[in-house]
Amino acid sequence: MKNDFIKITGLRKCFGDLEVLKGIDLNVAEQEVVVIIGPSGSGKSTLLRCINYLEEPSGGEVVVDGIPLNGEAHINEVRKEIGMVFQRFNLFPHMTVLENLILAPMKVRGLHKDEAKKLALELLDKVGLAEKADSYPESLSGGQQQRVAIARALCMKPKAMLFDEPTSALDPEMINEVLDVMRSLAKDGMTMVVVTHEMGFAREVGDRVLFVDGGHILEEGTPEEVFNHPKEERTQNFLSKIL
Amino acid sequence: MDFNVEIIKNALPLLLAGAGITIEISAISVGLGLAIGCLVSIIRLTQFRLLRYLGNVYVDFIRGTPLLVQIFLVYFALPAIIGQRVDAFFAAISACSINSGAYVAEIFRGGIQSIDKGQMEAGRSLGMSWWQTMRYIILPQAFKRIIPPLGNEFIAMLKDSSLVSVIGFEELTRRGQLIIARTYASFEIWLAVALIYLLMTFVVARLTGVLERRFDTSK
Repeated sequence: MKNDFIKITGLRKCFGDLEVLKGIDLNVAEQEVVVIIGPSGSGKSTLLRCINYLEEPSGGEVVVDGIPLNGEAHINEVRKEIGMVFQRFNLFPHMTVLENLILAPMKVRGLHKDEAKKLALELLDKVGLAEKADSYPESLSGGQQQRVAIARALCMKPKAMLFDEPTSALDPEMINEVLDVMRSLAKDGMTMVVVTHEMGFAREVGDRVLFVDGGHILEEGTPEEVFNHPKEERTQNFLSKIL
Repeated sequence: MDFNVEIIKNALPLLLAGAGITIEISAISVGLGLAIGCLVSIIRLTQFRLLRYLGNVYVDFIRGTPLLVQIFLVYFALPAIIGQRVDAFFAAISACSINSGAYVAEIFRGGIQSIDKGQMEAGRSLGMSWWQTMRYIILPQAFKRIIPPLGNEFIAMLKDSSLVSVIGFEELTRRGQLIIARTYASFEIWLAVALIYLLMTFVVARLTGVLERRFDTSK
């Protein structure tokens, strides 16, 4: 049995009067790939964003790598160890691809510029974009930008990665190049939590699939269980609409 | 009506010296205003409620009262409080910088807030602190966007600095008044003064344009 890297108990999140998460319990083991699916507005992105405190939980507890997330002091420590990939890439437009990658390792990890560059170039090579090191983000396609964003997160050598609908803003023909990178990451044993609408990816790469609706985890299990034998009616409904 | 070119010619050296002082006071004021404005705009974005409140009071007060009244406050009211006369140059510079600071603060705030909030999130999610993200990611992008409004602020200051003539500070407008008192050639002199202001603002507008383009190509 592997250790739990992320432990979430009784997590609640309210935006004003609206309760988006109504008590979530979730453990993610080391090297596990957890895929979160569910209708839009169900709270799945909020759940992901609570893990690295981009959203401050209204209640409950989030423990990452043994560190409880409850004060500013710990937040940066935890964020160093968890990479995040956003739907809209969020690359830094005033920097080249290489500069995007080396900034945080230099400022946060204290890496020397040469080390950071070496690491960055290795990672760019891994996502197939070594020749774009000196380009600016705006000259890249959406799929390329997202691969750079993944490389940027990896450059911090995180122990886990969070993906917030990483392919939702992409043109259909670019989705696979991003999913391929994520597949190879999973194969290398990266701990991953992925919010996505790509059911093929969820089925193939996920160790565990969660169906979130109305602020609850309604159903969870292996991809086989959730996709082929959903127990809950709402899961069946959701799957019938998108599959 | 006679138009006496000789008078303009004779007055020109004095007027141009006055224009030099106008440029000096505007440049110093906008420079100090930049420092004040940058500080105030960052204060207004932080979590410290009291500082934020003070920042808002400052900006609201300055933007809600005329510069002329602010100059009077510094030149006439301040001495009553501190029990000491205030030098006209000091009064002119401090009134104009404090005034400019409030407008620059608003320009900065607009620039910072125009940056997509995903940029802050990306920086923070990489483990950088709020201040590091501000410094390396948000501010460099914001600076590029605020060059045009900062150019406008400088142009406005070149013109508004004419108000310090009322406390006898001898910049371009005051020089014009003094020459007219001697020569009675109000049409010629005011026309010359207007053209000198126009020339200065025109040059600044063009320089802003150049700066804008330079920042745009080099990213």
